[in-house]
Amino acid sequence: MSNYYNMPKLPTENSPKVEIFVDDKPVMVPGDTNLLEALKAVGIETPHVCYHPFLPVSGNCRQCLVEQEGPRGRMLVIACYTPVAPGMKIYTPASSARVKNARKATQEFMLVNHPLDCPICDKAGECTLQENYMEAGQNESRMRPEYGKNYHGNPEHQFIDAKGQVRGGKHVDLGPRVLLDEERCVQCDRCVRFMRSIAGSEQLQLAGRADHTYITTFPGEKLDHEYDLCVTDVCPVGAMTAKYFRFQKRVWLLSHTPTISMDDSLGANIWLDHADGHIYRVMPRCNPEVNRSWLSNTSRLAFQNFDKNRLPAIDVESLPIGKGKIALVAGGSCTMEDLAALRMFKESLGDGAELFGGSLLKVGAPDGIAKSGDPVANRSGMKLMGFADVSEFMKRASEFETLVTVNADLFGEDAAVAKDLEKINCRIALSAFDDATARKATIAIGVRHWSEVQGTMVNSLNIIQKLNACPVCPDENLEAAYEVISELAGNKLESASAAFAKATEYASALAGLTYDSIKSTGKLLEGGNA
Amino acid sequence: MRVIKQRPMNWVERLYVFEAIRGLWTTLKHAARGLFRYETLPTISYPEGQPEIRNTYRARHRLMLRPDGTPRCVACGMCAAACPAHCIFIEATASDDPRIEKKVKRFDIDHLTCVFCGLCAEACPVDALRMDTKVISFEHRTRDEFVAHLEDLTAWDPKDYPEDEQSQVAPGGTKNAEARKVWGMEVK
Repeated sequence: MSNYYNMPKLPTENSPKVEIFVDDKPVMVPGDTNLLEALKAVGIETPHVCYHPFLPVSGNCRQCLVEQEGPRGRMLVIACYTPVAPGMKIYTPASSARVKNARKATQEFMLVNHPLDCPICDKAGECTLQENYMEAGQNESRMRPEYGKNYHGNPEHQFIDAKGQVRGGKHVDLGPRVLLDEERCVQCDRCVRFMRSIAGSEQLQLAGRADHTYITTFPGEKLDHEYDLCVTDVCPVGAMTAKYFRFQKRVWLLSHTPTISMDDSLGANIWLDHADGHIYRVMPRCNPEVNRSWLSNTSRLAFQNFDKNRLPAIDVESLPIGKGKIALVAGGSCTMEDLAALRMFKESLGDGAELFGGSLLKVGAPDGIAKSGDPVANRSGMKLMGFADVSEFMKRASEFETLVTVNADLFGEDAAVAKDLEKINCRIALSAFDDATARKATIAIGVRHWSEVQGTMVNSLNIIQKLNACPVCPDENLEAAYEVISELAGNKLESASAAFAKATEYASALAGLTYDSIKSTGKLLEGGNA
Repeated sequence: MRVIKQRPMNWVERLYVFEAIRGLWTTLKHAARGLFRYETLPTISYPEGQPEIRNTYRARHRLMLRPDGTPRCVACGMCAAACPAHCIFIEATASDDPRIEKKVKRFDIDHLTCVFCGLCAEACPVDALRMDTKVISFEHRTRDEFVAHLEDLTAWDPKDYPEDEQSQVAPGGTKNAEARKVWGMEVK
């Protein structure tokens, strides 16, 4: 199985439409893709295990069988690796009992050696096998308890359980973040393909052959990669589990908030999965233009500090701002709304105020997966709103008598460089965290973290994306930064849509947009990809 | 308009004493029965007398134990998912025993909220939760005491369940540590 496979061609808006016959009915489908995606485009879901739209197609699970009319009669083919051809005749379970039976049999074979672990499996509730069973299986168990399950994975990890049955390795330590359950593995190859083709570091392999195949790392090596937690996402069953989320919460108890990860200028689309006022995990949200289905470990595990070391809310009527020049510095996680409020604040302060944005952290190189390497998430937004870079401010820092930072931890980012800023007498910090800048500030005002606010950001691809508020704010009195700043400016913006309307006044590229018109996958701004 | 004329009372009725006794006859009969033939009364004098409770009665919960004294519960949350009153709170953690994946860290049942429907016991995939304790009275001083924790739910005595074989191999909550030694199943 260790071959290189082709990436699937996904349908786009510009795909040519061709006519094919599904169950003898003519339908127009995207013509440059595989059958599975084409059927999905017309609303026919095909159960599949090994196929993943952003991974090379290996076609080993045989779950997505459909019938195709060919020169030698109707044949079963796998939908994921069959390209769409004009005029092809396809039969789905809706009309073909053979397809139905074939899928059911495949499903049964897949479940024969799959342990009945659903009660203790972290994947239960979002498991592909469970979904497929409901759609294609629903067979009576023909399992004979006296024979038991036959697949136990790596022979080295076999053990006798408390009931005296032979079991496979249930918690094989693959690396610092991922555990493998060899029994649950269905050898779909997805994790191997992810590490090989997407992560570019082939750390996982299928070892053994036939029904002795098991997933393993190379001898003496561990699965350790910036994107290794993505293998737990692509795993269709509960074989790969993330250590940080293991047994934390049953997935059906989690609510999902779609938002944007504000620690990188690519702005990876994420789900914040929360329950009882806590974020339990961060999952990548599929956006083919931005991060596809991937998310770096840094962005994924950052949530663990979101509710720690927070600043309390303070009711501030006005700031003790001196007469000299004022620097307003926006940090990387400021939304467009925060920037608009800052511009309002600048206008209310008069000519002495200047706007800066950015961070003192170094800009890295894009990794081509889900990170652009730039820690200033909204850098493009700052450019649109006319914010000068923070390096400009550092050069002329001595001119200013007042410094207002918004989510910009200048002291924490580079204490040596930021040391000069201590000469500025009045330092006001608006921050979610009690960070180094907040501790050194004259006044530190707590605001909401980016995971708790509505807003928008413009990512490095010039796509405006929407953040949603996850109801996990530790203090209900905390307000979003744009609310606090606009109140100081004397014209409180009550909602994100009002603040966004203000932003469209300042940035011509946003003209004509409203907050509600931005879709969950964002909108490419005029001017195209930067 | 119809006028009903009442029959005038005769002299025995007008004497009052005999009519009063006739009116109180049922009461006096039961009073005498309570005094002299107590056991034939249709009611029981709770709490001195306890009702007979059948095995199928849905009483207070208990958690079954493995022979090594650990709770059978694998913290799958099926009972909490089935519970219509949302009175079960479960937290899971990884088991110390390498042969067992997941164990329960917190298992609370709020008996003030519980409606004793039995869906939790029915949902349990490992037959860990049962409602056969026959404990029907709940009297506590504070609301917190009505919440049964893991140690309360596992603290039952096998002697109370003589007909149930599975309860006999389980040691009972307070003897867990000793039981592990007896069974030679000291967990690693």
